Amino acid sequence: MPALEVSDVCMAFGGALVLSDVSLSVPAGAVTGLIGPNGAGKTTLFNVVSGLLEPRSGRVMIEGHEVTKAGPAARARRGLARTYQRLELFTSLTVRENIQVAGEIRNTWGRRGRIDVGAETDRTIALMGLGDVAEREVSELPTARARVVEVARALMTQPRVLLLDEPASGQTEQETADFSQLLRQLVTERDLAICLVEHDVGLVMGTCELIHVLDYGEIIASGPPEQVKSDPAVVNAYLGAP
Amino acid sequence: MHLFLTYTILGLVTGAVYGIAASGLVLTYTTSGIFNFAQGAMAMLAAFTYWQFRYGWNWPAPLALFTVIVVLAPLLGAVLYLGIMRGLRQTADVTKIVVTIGIMLGLIALAQWIWNPGVPRTDDLFFGNAAKFRVLGVYVTDHEAIALGCGVLIAVGIRLLFTSTRTGVAMRAVVDNPELLQLNGGRPQRLAAFSWALGGALAALAGILITPISGGTLDVHVLTLLVLDSIAAAMFGRLRSIWRTFGGALVLGLAGTYVLGYFPSSWSWASDFRIALPMIVLFVVLLVLPQDRLRGATLLRTRERFTVPTLRSAVTWGVILLLVVLALEQIMGTNDMGALTIGITYAIIALSLTLLTGYAGEINLAPVSFGAIATIIVFHLGLSGTGSAQRITLWGLLLGIVVTALVGGLIALPALRLRGLYLALATLAFGVFVSDMVIADIAPHVLPIFHVHFSIFPNGTLQLPPLKLGPVDLNSTKTFLTTSVCIFVLLGIGLVALRRSSYGRRLTAMKDSPAAAATLGQNLVRLKLSVFMLSAAIAGLGGVLLSAAAGSVNDTTFIIFISLALVMLTVVGGIGSVAGALMGGILAGTAFQALTATFTNLSTDAGGGGFWSVMGNLSLVAPALIGISLGRNPSGAVPQIVANYAPLWRVKAVLALGVVAEVVAYLLVLTKVMGNWWLVFATALIALALPAVGRIVRPEAFGAGPVATPGARERRAIVPTAVSVSAVEGVANARS
Repeated sequence: MPALEVSDVCMAFGGALVLSDVSLSVPAGAVTGLIGPNGAGKTTLFNVVSGLLEPRSGRVMIEGHEVTKAGPAARARRGLARTYQRLELFTSLTVRENIQVAGEIRNTWGRRGRIDVGAETDRTIALMGLGDVAEREVSELPTARARVVEVARALMTQPRVLLLDEPASGQTEQETADFSQLLRQLVTERDLAICLVEHDVGLVMGTCELIHVLDYGEIIASGPPEQVKSDPAVVNAYLGAP
Repeated sequence: MHLFLTYTILGLVTGAVYGIAASGLVLTYTTSGIFNFAQGAMAMLAAFTYWQFRYGWNWPAPLALFTVIVVLAPLLGAVLYLGIMRGLRQTADVTKIVVTIGIMLGLIALAQWIWNPGVPRTDDLFFGNAAKFRVLGVYVTDHEAIALGCGVLIAVGIRLLFTSTRTGVAMRAVVDNPELLQLNGGRPQRLAAFSWALGGALAALAGILITPISGGTLDVHVLTLLVLDSIAAAMFGRLRSIWRTFGGALVLGLAGTYVLGYFPSSWSWASDFRIALPMIVLFVVLLVLPQDRLRGATLLRTRERFTVPTLRSAVTWGVILLLVVLALEQIMGTNDMGALTIGITYAIIALSLTLLTGYAGEINLAPVSFGAIATIIVFHLGLSGTGSAQRITLWGLLLGIVVTALVGGLIALPALRLRGLYLALATLAFGVFVSDMVIADIAPHVLPIFHVHFSIFPNGTLQLPPLKLGPVDLNSTKTFLTTSVCIFVLLGIGLVALRRSSYGRRLTAMKDSPAAAATLGQNLVRLKLSVFMLSAAIAGLGGVLLSAAAGSVNDTTFIIFISLALVMLTVVGGIGSVAGALMGGILAGTAFQALTATFTNLSTDAGGGGFWSVMGNLSLVAPALIGISLGRNPSGAVPQIVANYAPLWRVKAVLALGVVAEVVAYLLVLTKVMGNWWLVFATALIALALPAVGRIVRPEAFGAGPVATPGARERRAIVPTAVSVSAVEGVANARS
């Protein structure tokens, strides 16, 4: 059973079909890539999966539980967390508070699995290498670091499935390499399922074990990196017809 | 049948006028993103101006109409947009709302200044009462026919403008993406100014048409509220569809006249119900609106900045406030202490806004109405003893607070799924409803089942005895003042503690990005409900204290404009801080009244009254002017003051000197060497001098070069972030 399973999802804005019969799965313990040209529907799919948009049809399952009708908060409680391509940080709070409040929200879910917010915040800040900016206002951070804060915040809810929307954009080459390393470490240590949207082809190819390619709202290829790279449909979508 | 037809025509006419006003609201909202609460006041001002031309100066009607509707009103609309609204980009909902409320209050004060409310004024129907014709056996006046015709013309005209003209299509594009429109050769600013001009003309037309229909008497408040009712119609169209807006307006107009016509005359509340109907409808429409899409922060960052004090500094400042008030009590007269008490109780009500708006980002436009609910509960159930020994009991006070919290929850419940503006409108509807139906329930009627005579607000005035909180009897003004300040300080410290708690951080998270908070697993409905109830409870407590301090309360104590002024002045002070609430409360409850009273006294006593009466009227308009200027400094005055004086901490000698000077001045007053006014002058002088002296003694503490105002510093800090984020994102998007 995959940690996240999307089946036959259709989504339209007005008359424009932006997702048509999208099905994909994200297994636990691995980083799954979701790539595709701009406007392919990647962020829309994330919004559907996290409950911010209601699909016209189709199903979303988290660890075997159907959540298609559930609100975003209920999905979070099932173990889903995400970051945003357009940053959604809590701008009145410091970096530490942004991370801390996620843990505090986690603890409002009920008695089961409560966490020690203070200790967990310190641990996450150290893990994500945010120690030097922890007391700064998030709005003072450069974008690349702010994206890391979003990842740290999402991790605080102890998710089973983590959706990352372009978390590495703006990073230097070295930072990207470290980030790739970190994602691999997270999925193996926590048996986490990560779904990664990223334009940096090197990062995606080097980190993911499974890649889904979305183009004009349809999945045109799925498979391991080597296979996807040489898929004619993918080449066509990225480079145009020869 | 004949009667039915008469009511139907009257209803259609009223509906047409509502529709005209509401379409102006829709127009300005869709093109500028600003909901114009001043629409009603603009209509009122136009009606008065028309009266002045037509009846004051005996101009011919066509000339008067042309001047008001085609020249002056559009000019006002365009000037409002270009001068004020344009500066409100990147501000929070509450700032936008408060600025138009400021304009509304300003126009009301202005109208009362120009046209003395003591002089009765009436408008006649167009072509007089005799000009009428028969339709299906019913008389229709020419005026009514003209109103209907205008309604139809405008509905069709605006629809055509939006769908068939280039300007109209561009107007719809403005709201979706002004930058994109600009890149495509559109001029969003000019379009928005045009729509505000059109909105002004529509408001003027509505105001002039409705005055004679609704009796002909020109009353500032009544006219403003009458057109404010059209908000309900605009909400039928969800602030977008012109057709549905006019449909809603007709429903509203017809329902009103049918209630008037067919409710049994034995129901004493029927006429109140008719007046309150639009607001009830507004509430119901909000209830059935479909859920909004959860949005993230639509802006990278709003310009409002609030810092959170440490608990220690909150306690310190609380103690200082208490000491200052204790010292002032030694030299103040009873009347002055009473006035200050009213200000403090307003400040306690304003604290409910600090929590709700400053911390949680939700808006309540009727905080004083929640105070009214608590007052009514206390009056009926919370008193003990008789005569001069009568007191408000602690249990009565607690009951009032609890009931108010529950009412707050009920009001908020339907609007919780909605965005800020809609919740604000729900509270506005509640506030007007309380004035129109609850407080207007003055005649006794027989309760069903219980068969007892009962009225909610007996005789229109409630006499409230002082409070008795356990052993503390607040029967002297001084004890009351001290206790109110203690309550304010405790609540203020409590709020700071709350903001620094996990609950406070979750509120902030919800305010900054509802979408992110929800996807982290926060149940937004429960959080909003809890904070709304808590806030209503604080407003209830403040309301009871206000009523007890005033001794007797009536409909003017709780009229919606008081609430709106308090909300506005609290935002002016700084909605994000306890000190801002104190400033808002004192300004609303004490300062402006004192100014007006002083000037009025001067104008009667000192002779040469003209100047002083102008000053008195200016002091009535002043709060609105301050509110309007919020676009420049949306964080409020308190953060600015703090930024001005904070560097003094590093020049302790100067600070100490200032404190000593202040204490000496106080002692001179206390020993009656000087009068009280000298203390005011001395304090003002010291306050002005301190930063200046500090700058001379230690310029580096204040930063080299010209003084950085906090506003300027903020902008410097923000622009690079905003630019860097969008630039990077732009690069990322372009690359892919």
